[in-house]
Order: sequence, then C-alpha cells, then structure tokens
Amino acid sequence: MDALRYTVKRILLMIPILIGISILTFFISNTIPGDPARLAAGPYADAKVIEELQEKMGLNDPVYVQYFNYMKNLLQGDLGNSNYSHQPVMEDIKQYFPATLELTFFSMFITILIGIPLGVISASKKDKVADQFARVMALIGVAMPAFWLGIIFLLFFYLKLGVLPGSGRLDTGLAPPETITGMYTIDALLTGNWTVFKSAVIHLILPGITQAAVTIGMITRMTRSSMLEVLRSDYIRTAFAKGGSEKRVLYGHALRNGMMPIMTLLGMTFGHSLGGSVLVESVFSWPGLGKYAVNAITYLDFPAVMAVTILIAVLFILVNLIIDILYQVVDPRLNYD
Amino acid sequence: MLLELNDVSLSLKRDGKYVKILDGISLQVKKGETVGIVGESGCGKSMTALSVMRLLPEKAKLEGVIQLDHEDITSYSKRKMEKIRGNKMAMIFQDPLTSLNPLHTVGRQIEETLILHTDLNKEQRKRRVIELLNEVGLPRADEIASEYPHQLSGGMRQRIMIAVAMACNPSLLICDEPTTALDVTVQAQILDLMNHLKDVNEMGIIMITHDLGVVAEVCDRVVVMYAGKIVEQANVKELFINPKHPYTKGLLESIPKLGVKKAKLGSIPGMVPSPDKMPKGCRFYERCSSAMEVCKGTTPPMSSVGEEHTAACWLYEEKGGEMNGSSGSEGLEATLHN
Repeated sequence: MDALRYTVKRILLMIPILIGISILTFFISNTIPGDPARLAAGPYADAKVIEELQEKMGLNDPVYVQYFNYMKNLLQGDLGNSNYSHQPVMEDIKQYFPATLELTFFSMFITILIGIPLGVISASKKDKVADQFARVMALIGVAMPAFWLGIIFLLFFYLKLGVLPGSGRLDTGLAPPETITGMYTIDALLTGNWTVFKSAVIHLILPGITQAAVTIGMITRMTRSSMLEVLRSDYIRTAFAKGGSEKRVLYGHALRNGMMPIMTLLGMTFGHSLGGSVLVESVFSWPGLGKYAVNAITYLDFPAVMAVTILIAVLFILVNLIIDILYQVVDPRLNYD
Repeated sequence: MLLELNDVSLSLKRDGKYVKILDGISLQVKKGETVGIVGESGCGKSMTALSVMRLLPEKAKLEGVIQLDHEDITSYSKRKMEKIRGNKMAMIFQDPLTSLNPLHTVGRQIEETLILHTDLNKEQRKRRVIELLNEVGLPRADEIASEYPHQLSGGMRQRIMIAVAMACNPSLLICDEPTTALDVTVQAQILDLMNHLKDVNEMGIIMITHDLGVVAEVCDRVVVMYAGKIVEQANVKELFINPKHPYTKGLLESIPKLGVKKAKLGSIPGMVPSPDKMPKGCRFYERCSSAMEVCKGTTPPMSSVGEEHTAACWLYEEKGGEMNGSSGSEGLEATLHN
C-alpha cells in the first residue's frame, strides 16, 4: 500500500516538472530567429503567401496564447504538424521512436551484461591483471568518441570482414514485422518470425556496441568502486565465515548491497542514451528519433522539436521514477516516505 | 583435544613489507571448554581467531600448525576450508548489526549455512531455522524469520548471529567480543545463552574479549596476550587470585571492585609497541614496573609457574628454568637470532 501511495505521489509530482519543461522548450524555440512560415512555404513563395501561412500557423498570436493552444492540443494527443515531413508529428514519432528505444534497450542490455560482471571481477581481483585489463577497457570505452568508434567498427566488421551489416534495421528485401511495439526484435518475436528476428538482432549489434561502449566503461568503474566499499563490510566477513565461496559471497551478498549507485548511474545513462543517440544513428543510418530531431532543428520544425524534447523528458523522468521504486525493492531499510 | 595451535605466527603485508602480528602462539581448547583470550586492542586476539578460521587478508603469511580434531587444517585448500567454516567451526562477531547482511531476512541468513553444509530440503531447512530461533530464545520465531536485521534489537540480532553460527552444530565456536556492542543486561543474557548452548552441544568456545567480567562469567581457562604474544595462561580462578605476569596484574588492577575504596583505578602507563618496532627483549619491558636488566635484551620464555599455569616473565625464570629447561634455551636462541 505504501509502495502504491509513493508511486502515485511521484507520478503526480511529474506534472509540474513536465509543465516547466514544456514552457522552457516552447519559449526557447520561439526566441530562435528564423521564420517557420517562410521555411514551410519554400524559398520562392511570395510575401502574401507567407503572411497567410503565418496567420494560419498562429504565429501572429502572442507567445503565451500560442503556448496554451499548443498545450490544449497536446492534451488531446495532437502534437501539431511537422513543417518538414508535412504529416502529423505524432505519426513521425510513432515511426522513429521505436527504433531509438530498441537501440537504447539493446545497448543498456549489453551494458548490464558486460559492465556489471566486469566491475565485480575488477573489485574482487583488485590491482591484479584482470582489474588492470578492465581498467584499460573502461578507459578506452569512455575516451573513444562514439562516432569514431562506430566508423572503426564499420570499417572492420562491415567492410573488411563483412560479418555484420553496417546500416539500417533489417536486411534489404525483408519486410518489417507487423507493428505492435514498433521494435522489430520484439514484434518479430511476438509474431514468431525468426528470419526477421535474426536480421533485426544482427543489425543491432554494431550500433548497440558503439552506443554501449561509453556506458560499459562508466558502469564497470562504478561497480568496481561500489563493490570495493561493500567488500570491506562486516557482513561480507560473516558470509565467508559461514563457508560461502568467493563467487557466492560476491554475487549473493556483495553485489546487491553495492547496487544503489549502479542503479542510479544506469538510470541516468538510459536518459543520456535516448537523447544522445544522434551520432550513433547518423553513423549507422539508423532511422531513429535522434536523426529526426537533428533534421527538425535544422528546418526550424518547432512542433517536432517540442515533441521530441517533451517525449525524452517524460521518459527520463519515468526511468528515474522506476529506479527510485526499485531502490526500495533492493533495500528494505528504505521507507516509502 | 579439539583445537591445538602450535607455534603459530602471522605476518601481514604493510607498506610493502611483512610485519609480524602474531608471534609463536600456542594454545589448546578442549571439548566443552571455554577459553578466554584477553588483552588490549591490537594485541592480536582477533587475528588469532581469524587465523584459525583462515579469514585473513590476502597477503597474509601464516606459519605453524593449527589442528582441529587432530587434523592439521593449515594445509587445507581454500575449498576444504569453506567446507569446515560454518560447519565444524563457526564464528560470532562483535557488532551484530553490521555483521548481518542488511538486505536479507534473518531467516534466509540462518538458512544459508544450512544450504552450504547440509542436504536438507527446503521444508526441512525452514523447520530447522524455526528450531534454531527457538533454541536461541527468540519468541514468535516464524515471524522473526521473515524480518530484516534493522527491525530487531541489538540483543535479538546477536541471538540471530548465534543461530547462524549454531546452525550446523559446530564443535568449535569462536566469539570475537560478542557482547561488547550490547547493553549490560543483554550481555548477561547472551552469555547465559552461550553457556547453555555449550553445555548442550559439548562445544569448545574461544571467547575473545577485553572485558574481564565476561571472562569471569564464562571462561574455564584464560590466555592473556600482549603485543602478538601470549604472556600468561591459567585457569580462570587461578588467574584472578594469583596472577603472575606484571601485565596481567596491571589488567586486574584496572577493574573496579565493589566495596573497595580506592582513589584511582590502577592503569598501565605507556603504549603497546607497534608491530614493526617490536623491542628485542620482553615486549612489556617499557611499561613494566618490575623490569630488570635481563628483560631488555632477551625475550622471556614461557615457563610453568603453577599447576596448569604458565607465564612468560623473567621474574619466575629461576624457578621455571628448573621445571622446564628447554624453554630457557629457546629464549637464549631468540637472543642469538636477534
């Protein structure tokens, strides 16, 4: 009951935050010089057409009226029309967002799968070869710019070895699976289409690893330092005194106790990956939200910019809410108040 | 003999070089006997216990022989040690709050010992956990089993620690200051419980403490340690009535006595020498009120000073030399080596 009350309270608290974000984004994008009407009308349109378009797009209203109109439509699920793709922004988002979400989930999956065990090994073999190796790997991951790493991967695995595809979400000639979530791997699984599933996973590997390189490095280091602190605890000694093996003590006792800072970082990384996938999406021609946002900014496509910003903000807040709730699951000492 | 330590020394790596923390520790624990190890903090009491359990830092050098049930466990592999830890020998620590995993229910923590060392199935393990909780005197056992350490009081937590240790009926129980972190009234309860469990299970207990009150309460025999060496061993009565080593005398003088008016409690002046700067002769020399010239340069050997009573002090060496010639030459050898 407490958990439910806490969750509801936190969700209600999201509302003022989101209003704040929407106000900020709206007013900032409105102060940017440039005329969306002119861009929408094209370079050869005459002044009269542009004036009409300005009126039609509501650009002559006071800014706060424009904002209220926007929010009114937003609450009805209408994000406006994109001035660039000439279709409702909602449709664009439905198309591009699942691709980004899929890539982010995949890279987080790799991060957790590699980063945490690597950090645990690092801590348990402190200052030994394994630890030094993990340290160097983490440093490389953090220090290499994603776009550069992506290009190197492309050159090696795609051009030279030809073992992995270099762009897109599916092999050419394969039809995407029936849209359920929009994430090809999941949709293919749900519809039982193995060929598409295999192709989708293979296409995820290079962009996924490129995206995960930085976060693996960060998670490894965070896991290591968190574990080192936990391993000094009295209850770890107790666990050994009971006759527990090193593996059992590390994964059964220490890791869960060291999980808090790791979870915090994972939450932040998730938001970061969502918003920062632009570079990776560009290198691998991944038709995702990052690329869409960059286009929207270049074409002063305000409805699209607004929508992407608000969407990422909502997700970021949601993910951190989930992490906050998970804290209480991991640590019974934390109270919901 | 349940446990026998023979000339056990321990060196730990500090700042790149090995420093001797324990020096020639020899002691024995019989079945059903409680042996107290007393001394100031840093004298090596806990390290002696951790050496027996082999819960030592990675770069520790352990020498000598430790026998449990006549088997030399110093040569045991890591795996083999894991099999007897928590099973044949168990350990209880000072602070029950930090010694229990805060994220696991206490039932699960007791059960873990059973998972590690027995073939009991889930149902049997659950029953055994309840049984153990009852044994250590906790009411409403099935409720407590699903609670977390932070929901229990200090005394209850220490009872849980005891339940964890007792899960597999160990023949040796090592207690490292088990009552130091508890209230005085709870202390007495815990000590009573341990005495009771010892009698029921015929365990041998090593009781590490700096509290001579605890020693008087539960111990049959006492080992007094100073700066990594044993300085005196005797039965508990003998030690309290007839202490021989000046250090033991000093310890006993520092306890307040009921009905005796004294302006000031006795204290021992000075500090324990640090392990990397141990003096050549008697380690207590600098603080000793009866120090002699011989103490400065030569380590006093352990010699008999009464019935089952030994002390390492030159004050008794004439007498001791007659009774135990070999230990005298040992002292001389030590001088030559230095």
